Amino acid sequence: MTAKPKTIWDRLEDIPREILYGLLLICVIVPMLFPIGFPVPISAEVQRWYDTIEALPAGSVVMVDFGYSGGGEPELAPFAVATYAHLFRKTGIKVVTMCTSSEGPLLWERAMVELNIARFGKEYGKDYINIGYIAGTETAMAAVGKSISATTSTDYKGTPLSQYSIMKGVDNAKDFALLIEYTTGGDQSEGWVRQWYTSYKTPYLCCVLAMMVPTMLPYQKAGQIVSVVSGAQAGQVELLVKVPGRGVKSADVITVTHLLCIALVAVGNIAYFGKKFSGGKS
Amino acid sequence: MDLASVAQIWLAALFTIWIYSIAFRDNPFFKFAEHTFVGAAAGHSLVYGVDNILRYGWAPLTAGNMLYAVVFILGILMYMRFHQTYYWVSRVPLSVIVGIGIGLTLRSTVTSEFIAQIISTAQMKVLGLDAWTAFSNLLFITITLATVYFFIFTFPKVHGGRLSLISTIAKYGMMAAFGYSFANTVLSRFNMIFGRIDFLMNTWLVLPYAMLALPVVLILVIYAMIPAEKRPWPKPKN
Amino acid sequence: MSIVMKKSVPILLVFITSLIFLAEYFVFPELKDVVTLLQNWGIILTAFTLGFGAVNMFMFHGKQVSLRAKGQWPYSLWLLMILVLFTLVGVIMGATSTSYSWLYNSSYFALSATVYSSLGFYMTSGIYRALRAKNAESALLLIVGVIVLARNAPALAAQFPILVSMDSWLSSVPTTSAQRGIMIGAALGAIALGLRTMIGRETGFLGRLTEGEKGG
Repeated sequence: MTAKPKTIWDRLEDIPREILYGLLLICVIVPMLFPIGFPVPISAEVQRWYDTIEALPAGSVVMVDFGYSGGGEPELAPFAVATYAHLFRKTGIKVVTMCTSSEGPLLWERAMVELNIARFGKEYGKDYINIGYIAGTETAMAAVGKSISATTSTDYKGTPLSQYSIMKGVDNAKDFALLIEYTTGGDQSEGWVRQWYTSYKTPYLCCVLAMMVPTMLPYQKAGQIVSVVSGAQAGQVELLVKVPGRGVKSADVITVTHLLCIALVAVGNIAYFGKKFSGGKS
Repeated sequence: MDLASVAQIWLAALFTIWIYSIAFRDNPFFKFAEHTFVGAAAGHSLVYGVDNILRYGWAPLTAGNMLYAVVFILGILMYMRFHQTYYWVSRVPLSVIVGIGIGLTLRSTVTSEFIAQIISTAQMKVLGLDAWTAFSNLLFITITLATVYFFIFTFPKVHGGRLSLISTIAKYGMMAAFGYSFANTVLSRFNMIFGRIDFLMNTWLVLPYAMLALPVVLILVIYAMIPAEKRPWPKPKN
Repeated sequence: MSIVMKKSVPILLVFITSLIFLAEYFVFPELKDVVTLLQNWGIILTAFTLGFGAVNMFMFHGKQVSLRAKGQWPYSLWLLMILVLFTLVGVIMGATSTSYSWLYNSSYFALSATVYSSLGFYMTSGIYRALRAKNAESALLLIVGVIVLARNAPALAAQFPILVSMDSWLSSVPTTSAQRGIMIGAALGAIALGLRTMIGRETGFLGRLTEGEKGG
């Protein structure tokens, strides 16, 4: 029996994956070689994030959790860097960082290098500190919320916390004006709601991967999280804080690749319906 | 730039290209990178496990808090799980972890994921608002209730007949939510691809000889994608 | 050893530990010091579990190497070498030392970031092949997906503000409401599972059970 010749619909419906991947790579590389400079509109959530930090009075202490792994760095790090820049630009804000991800301490160091912290004139141990990775996720969050000194006595490099002036008068969740989280894990993002917001009502800003945003929206709607944003919106916060970086650079690539996706959806559906209405089977 | 930084960038770039090669065909370079990843992940976990044990366990113990000796014994006993006969000994320390986890989540899950969500839904107004907001709020409440109904009541009788309307509303609500999630997942992944390509183009390729090395690396990877029996070299051992 | 020792004691431990946490939170704040101690123990015990992956790697890949498994054993050997290298450098030089940082940034970080991102290629293929309006439900998924895809493209969002309004409505009404319904259902399930584990009706955490243990 001879095989039926392929119709145009068959060909459209079965484009080889190598071509699809090649198109994707072209859509990523070309806008990087020839930047277009597409505008980046500011969304309501990112504006709320910015306004919350902007409203912090001098003397506030902020807890930041570096809870993401290396896989999430390309998306979350630009947002984290821009937010640190915002915090450090404000006068008298102290930042205590902890890590619920084992890669957190090393990723935090990468972020500090990208931030170029020297330009803000901030001193480690006086204006900011990293108390390191604490295993156990929610157990760690609960322990730190109860008492940092009872949980750990050193920073992430093993230096006693007693040597640092930033930790004077800062011991539990009640001493923090704001909690900021960057994570690739639902355990962390939801765990902070359970362990800090529920017990201590600490205002909570949550930055997750774009794919995790829908699962966090109910918390935002219930007022448990002030603002849920995705790392992919880093370009917006970079513009607000006026520190353009990787986030703004990605706008062109994201636009072109998403246009490619919409085109592929259209082609796939045209092929499907074309085949269906011309009597072929999918 | 010092030699260590240059070497670091070169290694990271090669690993990046080798991992991406799996999108086209499996090949020995990908396998090499994959096994490096798995070994590094296991090693990294072990390193930070030891770091945490020393910082949060050994330090208080050596400071005089002898009660921490108990947790060290329990921690070591956890590795009995790998023993054929005495694996059950590891249940004791595991029970402590499970008990802590249950205690922590139970005491706040009720408030944060149950009561707070119900209060938030119940507080939504449907009267005294403009038509669109009232409709949106009503739709919100309906989809929430329908979805809870869909998941809690699983026996077939409650999804049959006229009651099937509730399941239908829940399914359509969830389809919309999954469509939203799917589009956001695409955004996430493409953002990550941009991050890696940005590294390759703006951190690696600006280094001396990198532009010359790129086609060589790509040709080698493509060559490695040829099935072993069709490759002129190296020949597979029989 | 009797079943009491092997099964009942762990279940009793779960019950007592979780009861202490619940009692401290709801009724007896005087138990604060006990809870703090247990939380710190939880951190240390979790740290001990971080070594399980390494042990499993040694058991599985060590076997591949010793058996000279065809086509696999060189990779397994390399994996174990990397594992040992990371461990030695991290433990001896320090987890935040320059040497370990170099090792991490040159290999693990790059690999991790690339593995996560490589799924984007498969998503592109998935979008093309699977996102088709075959029935009403998939059509709804498709329509919502395309609207949000368009809104997520910054240039399209800037050019067509209606996309922002539509995305805002889609996220705040159907998405949040469905996710809330799923969350409430999952929370009830988690509460039920927690209570069942506390009273010993759920024994999944015990791992493999013997025939005698399954009976009681």
